[in-house]
Amino acid sequence: MQKHLLTGLFALSITYTARAQTTFPQNGVHDERPGLYAFTNATIIVDPQTTLNNATLLIRDGKVEAVGTAVSVPAGAVVTDLTGKRIYPALIDIDSDYGMPEVARATGGGFGGGGRPPQYESNKKGPYYWNQAIQPENDASLIFKANTLKADELRKLGFGAVLTHPHDGIARGTGALVTLADDRENMLMLKSNATAHYSFSKGSSTQQYPNSMMGVVALLRQALYDADWYKRAGNKEQSNLSLDAFSRIQPLPAIFEASDKMGILRADKIGDEFGVQYVIRTSGDEYQRVDEVKATKAALIVPLNFPQPYDVEDPWDADNVSLAELKHWEMAPLNTGRLANANVTFAITTAGLRNKADFWANLRKAIEGGLSEQKALEALTSVPARLIRADDQLGTLQKGRLANFIITSGNLFSADNVIYENWMRGKQHIVTNKNVADLRGTWNLTIGQQSNLKLNITGKSPEKPEYQILIDTVKVTPKVAVSGDVISMQVQLNRRNPATTRLTGYRMGTTIKGDGESPDGKVITWSAVRTGDAPQSTSATSTTGGSSTATVATSGTATQPTSNTAATVIYPFVGMGNAQLPKSENVLIRNATVWTNEKDGILTNADVLVVGGKISKVGKSLTAGSDVKVIDGTGKHLTNGIIDEHSHIALLSINEGGQSSSAEVRMSDVINPEDINIYRQLAGGVTTSQLLHGSANSIGGQSAIVKLKWGESPDGMLIKGADGFIKFALGENVKQANYPNPNVLTRFPQSRMGVEQVYMDHFTRAKEYLRMWQNYNTLNVKAKGLAQAPRRDIELDALGEILEGKRFITCHSYVQSEINMLIKVADSLGFKVNTFTHILEGYKLADKMAKHGAGGSSFADWWAYKMEVHDAIPYNAALMHRQGVTVSINSDDAEMARRLNQEAAKTVEYGGVSEEDAWKMVTLNPAKLLHLDNRLGSIKVGKDADLVLWNAHPLAIYARPEITMIEGTTYFSLKDEDAKRDAMHAEKARIVQKMISAKASGSPTVRPTFRRARMWHCEDIEGVIAEGEEK
Amino acid sequence: MGKEMKKIFILAALLVSLASFAQNPAPGGAQTKTIALMGGTVHIGNGQVIPNGVVLFSNGIITNVVDGTTVRLDLTNVETISVAGKHVYPGIISPASTVGLQEVGAVRATVDKQETGILNPNVRALIAYNTDSEIIPTIRNNGVLFSQAMPQGGTVSGSSSVMMSDGWNWEDAVLKKDDGIWLNWPNYLAREFSLEDFSTVVRKNERRTQAIEALRTTFTEAKAYAALTNPMPMNLKLESMKGLFTGKQNLYVRADYGKDIIEAVTFAKSLAIPNVVIVGGEEANRVVGFLKENNVPVILSALHRLPNREDEDVDLPYRMPGILHKAGILVALSYADEWWRTRNLPFLAGTAAGFGITDKEEALKLVTSNTAKILGIDKLVGTLEKGKHATLFVSAGDALDMRTNVVEHAFVQGRKVNLDDRHKRLYKQYKDKYEQK
Repeated sequence: MQKHLLTGLFALSITYTARAQTTFPQNGVHDERPGLYAFTNATIIVDPQTTLNNATLLIRDGKVEAVGTAVSVPAGAVVTDLTGKRIYPALIDIDSDYGMPEVARATGGGFGGGGRPPQYESNKKGPYYWNQAIQPENDASLIFKANTLKADELRKLGFGAVLTHPHDGIARGTGALVTLADDRENMLMLKSNATAHYSFSKGSSTQQYPNSMMGVVALLRQALYDADWYKRAGNKEQSNLSLDAFSRIQPLPAIFEASDKMGILRADKIGDEFGVQYVIRTSGDEYQRVDEVKATKAALIVPLNFPQPYDVEDPWDADNVSLAELKHWEMAPLNTGRLANANVTFAITTAGLRNKADFWANLRKAIEGGLSEQKALEALTSVPARLIRADDQLGTLQKGRLANFIITSGNLFSADNVIYENWMRGKQHIVTNKNVADLRGTWNLTIGQQSNLKLNITGKSPEKPEYQILIDTVKVTPKVAVSGDVISMQVQLNRRNPATTRLTGYRMGTTIKGDGESPDGKVITWSAVRTGDAPQSTSATSTTGGSSTATVATSGTATQPTSNTAATVIYPFVGMGNAQLPKSENVLIRNATVWTNEKDGILTNADVLVVGGKISKVGKSLTAGSDVKVIDGTGKHLTNGIIDEHSHIALLSINEGGQSSSAEVRMSDVINPEDINIYRQLAGGVTTSQLLHGSANSIGGQSAIVKLKWGESPDGMLIKGADGFIKFALGENVKQANYPNPNVLTRFPQSRMGVEQVYMDHFTRAKEYLRMWQNYNTLNVKAKGLAQAPRRDIELDALGEILEGKRFITCHSYVQSEINMLIKVADSLGFKVNTFTHILEGYKLADKMAKHGAGGSSFADWWAYKMEVHDAIPYNAALMHRQGVTVSINSDDAEMARRLNQEAAKTVEYGGVSEEDAWKMVTLNPAKLLHLDNRLGSIKVGKDADLVLWNAHPLAIYARPEITMIEGTTYFSLKDEDAKRDAMHAEKARIVQKMISAKASGSPTVRPTFRRARMWHCEDIEGVIAEGEEK
Repeated sequence: MGKEMKKIFILAALLVSLASFAQNPAPGGAQTKTIALMGGTVHIGNGQVIPNGVVLFSNGIITNVVDGTTVRLDLTNVETISVAGKHVYPGIISPASTVGLQEVGAVRATVDKQETGILNPNVRALIAYNTDSEIIPTIRNNGVLFSQAMPQGGTVSGSSSVMMSDGWNWEDAVLKKDDGIWLNWPNYLAREFSLEDFSTVVRKNERRTQAIEALRTTFTEAKAYAALTNPMPMNLKLESMKGLFTGKQNLYVRADYGKDIIEAVTFAKSLAIPNVVIVGGEEANRVVGFLKENNVPVILSALHRLPNREDEDVDLPYRMPGILHKAGILVALSYADEWWRTRNLPFLAGTAAGFGITDKEEALKLVTSNTAKILGIDKLVGTLEKGKHATLFVSAGDALDMRTNVVEHAFVQGRKVNLDDRHKRLYKQYKDKYEQK
């Protein structure tokens, strides 16, 4: 015992010594205080799982010294009796920019549109990374400046500490954990370099690259590979403070701002590649893809930025609000509850709120929406502390933790709760005076000669009293100001005479006395005597005069979980999405005209059996088991699904035009499975699309080949095992011929001469790169141990794959000279051009293409829109076809892809291609060009059952698909269309009704606006780069 | 294969006469001899069809259209052309077009489709119409024999003229001069482009009331001006609008949104403008009753477009003509400003036939007689009826379907049209290249 005491004293003295040390000079007399406080008789929520009634919290020197029901209060402690009140650990926000300088957003493309010349190199001074958006060297603690106004916004809400970082760039550097007290930065900083931060937004960088989402991903990946190389070998060759910083911050908890549900998956994939599990800051739409989000195993930081209701009274205008927007309005408050139910770990942030003051109202909506109060508390205290590895300091009130806590009138989550005090590191910060006298009750009031007056003081809490004076039966509302025990009141005692009697007085217990002036200037006296409790009003709830036995149940919550059974997620989360993903079925299509694309040609009155997603039998009079769905194909035509070799739908961005080569970017990083054009194209019979990079640069990005599986995730749409492809481009777009303001264009090349050199240069480098790796890989084990692996370059990886015949080129091309050039470049370097796309002058050198082995993927009849298509002719496909080139007809256009069958039919009109060959140009031939003809493109046993049943001859203008299926799963069915549309309209109507009521009950509304995603063509130079923005 | 060979033969025959390479073929000479097209399926353009018909025309005018199985005609001194198994159609009319006004989209020097300024009623598309445009021969090769040259830009864009697709210069080629004034209705919804994420946000246009009031002032003053006998000073803008109030000129109003359509029509009616035409009409399905009651025709924008909204019916654009046609609204199809795609106009009628108008003859009206009625040229063209211009074509098959739209003969006011075009020439040249080997 004695020993214990001694150690205790020793410890204290150490603390005291430490405390007395300061590096700051003091102007005046030092005022260091003992810092010993005891809070007694409180209900203490030590952590979300532990609540103590009638307990004591003892703090010393900014830390919790003891907490419990049997804590003895040492002498010298300042004791505060908190009978009826509660203590919670203070809340923590781990996505904050508190105290950080404002980030200037870069605007404009810099392609001469805004008149600003493009900037290809970093503007940052010093030996940093080549790209301004990569700044892992940034350290929030170096630029942190406390800001009382901003701190107060958060302190009022109950937050005691935040993790702050500059929200600028893709690699953003480190965050600092600070308290929100008013003090020197030295005392606020709990932990500098606490976390590492990343995002998909290039922030203030004005540098050209990256200008697309896939460019952002590629840049970050390359930077991380560079960091690895720098640590191993690069630091001997050069000094790079950014790459150095990457190594330094690598052990820290890493937080990635993803900002939408697809971004979560994308960020996690980057983490997987580098063995990092990011904590991911989301945008609040995770409920739309809970399963995929959960599968990432990432902990999340979730905002409460719920959309406002739309102004939907006018039914025509309301049409502009999409089902997705309506549903998100309804379901956003359910997000956190659904994450909790799925056992996803998450913290809650105030980031993204239009107004921080909405925080509690929104959190209560989330609780109504199914989030338990315990989970809510965890998400604001223990979870964020743990995620940033600060749980030894924050998040609970266990002994030894920092004394960061709040004192409340009652249940923190109750609508009428009052936060009185917010203590940070043992320093008091008063939010609301907790010692406000409770004046509520009925009082007998005498003013001058009038002694028969009654004063009723009511209100939800002592802090917000409401006053009313009864003059006989007449009710008058006085103006009252209370300051401590001094009260002043102004009242109009005579209705017919709007003159004010002004009174000043003081309270002593249950009596108020004072004097004042009547309207005519006479001094009068007044008094009031309390006679009893306030009459039952609409308001008053628990918190007054509570007993020490207060329970911590959800007493006093005005919020009841409401039934939201009608609110269901659809896949994808847009109109015509399905509540359940459609399933693959075994199907027999009977008695149809079957276009086999095989040597059998077109079979009449034929049957096709689909089993397990594959074509199982083709023939006549096939029989089916009872588990097989039979479809009557009488009078109809059955074909393969259309394959669009050149598509830009279902993508978030198209061009990474920041450099002449962007071989490192992958379209698979930007697949958007929620693009309505997927469904529209299913309705046009398309089942497979190659999603291509645009044509802004000579070497574009890596394609994503997808099936249009409506409702699947990006990964679920990708064709597994498909060969890798890459987009190249020639001509006007590459040399920026049609850009505005040509005077500021400096990107090489600006002529067709330069294009050749871009290829020669890049492939020469790729060859050397391959050789370097070959040399390294052929070293024996011992030599390898002594050597360093070369720097991994993901751009040269992709180009090396082309040289090795593992990646294949689709090249945007128009004019024969440049097509010939690329063939020669390829021949000289020993690779093949797989496909020339557009290839509108292909007819001029079809012989050369055939000899090289290149296919041609063209438009049926496009021309005249720019100079390089002046010689385009609709006979192009026929001429190439006859020279033995594999020809496909593609769309490059979301609209035209809906009727590629008609575009194929034009080759019959122009050049007289046979109907069977014409049909192959949108099915088997593109399958060949994509190296997928072993499983797609014809109706052959064993191939994928990607089928379309047409109501007429599929090349006729009058034809339309009745059924479109992919691998036996029906994704479009004409006969179900009406029912599906009706259901969608009913769902919209239901939510609109709800929205109108919400508006009637006072929610602020926004005008109906509707956001249309861009329809992409390969000409489009801009990308979506602002995903990091709040919606 | 047989079909293919035949087509090649036809082409070769056409190409023999070509001396020079790079120029458009010369316009045909005036009709000197009566011509009879014998035995084809004759699509009158008014809904009727004659399976074995004879079309007789002389001096550029149709003199008779009869059923060849029942009527015998005296064919002495008549050039007979057998078109058995083939189809005869009236020339297809492309309204609201920039054919002739622009050549290569990306080359500014070749584009003359819009003028700077807000109010340009006096600007005339007619005089910019380039009869030597290489686009023109490509459109008549699919049966499009008229196009309405339409100015764009500003609020009041100027006046249009209806052009024939064969002629030495615009004076030769014009069918109806200054047929109407074009007005871009101030949008109820305005688009805002977001530099943040490159999406387009559409919201209520807060400045439109002001714009409409300014328009009302201009039109009211134009109407008053029209009553002056010797205006002093002369105002070219108001002068050019006179015809609107007498019905001599149409008022073409570009409007898509339902509310815009209603407002635009009400505006025209309040000024007693007799002939108002809605152009675009992408939401005309919302105001079917209104259009019908007010007897307002619609020229729809290209059906081959995407729905305007995420939740809109996937096939609504395709069904639109059917919806309007069934309600009894006079409706025509256009390719709007997509000049080079104009050759696909017959296929838009085919699309309408696949999506709601089951009778192909009714669908044909959307690009022939309906259009003629709307443009006020129905007394001259639009159907194969006696007394109308012999502006017509013969197709190997169904002209509304791209597989079978192969134009073998075309006549403009009885003049034989040389069906050569840039595309056929290049086709022949490179076919020859491969055959040389």
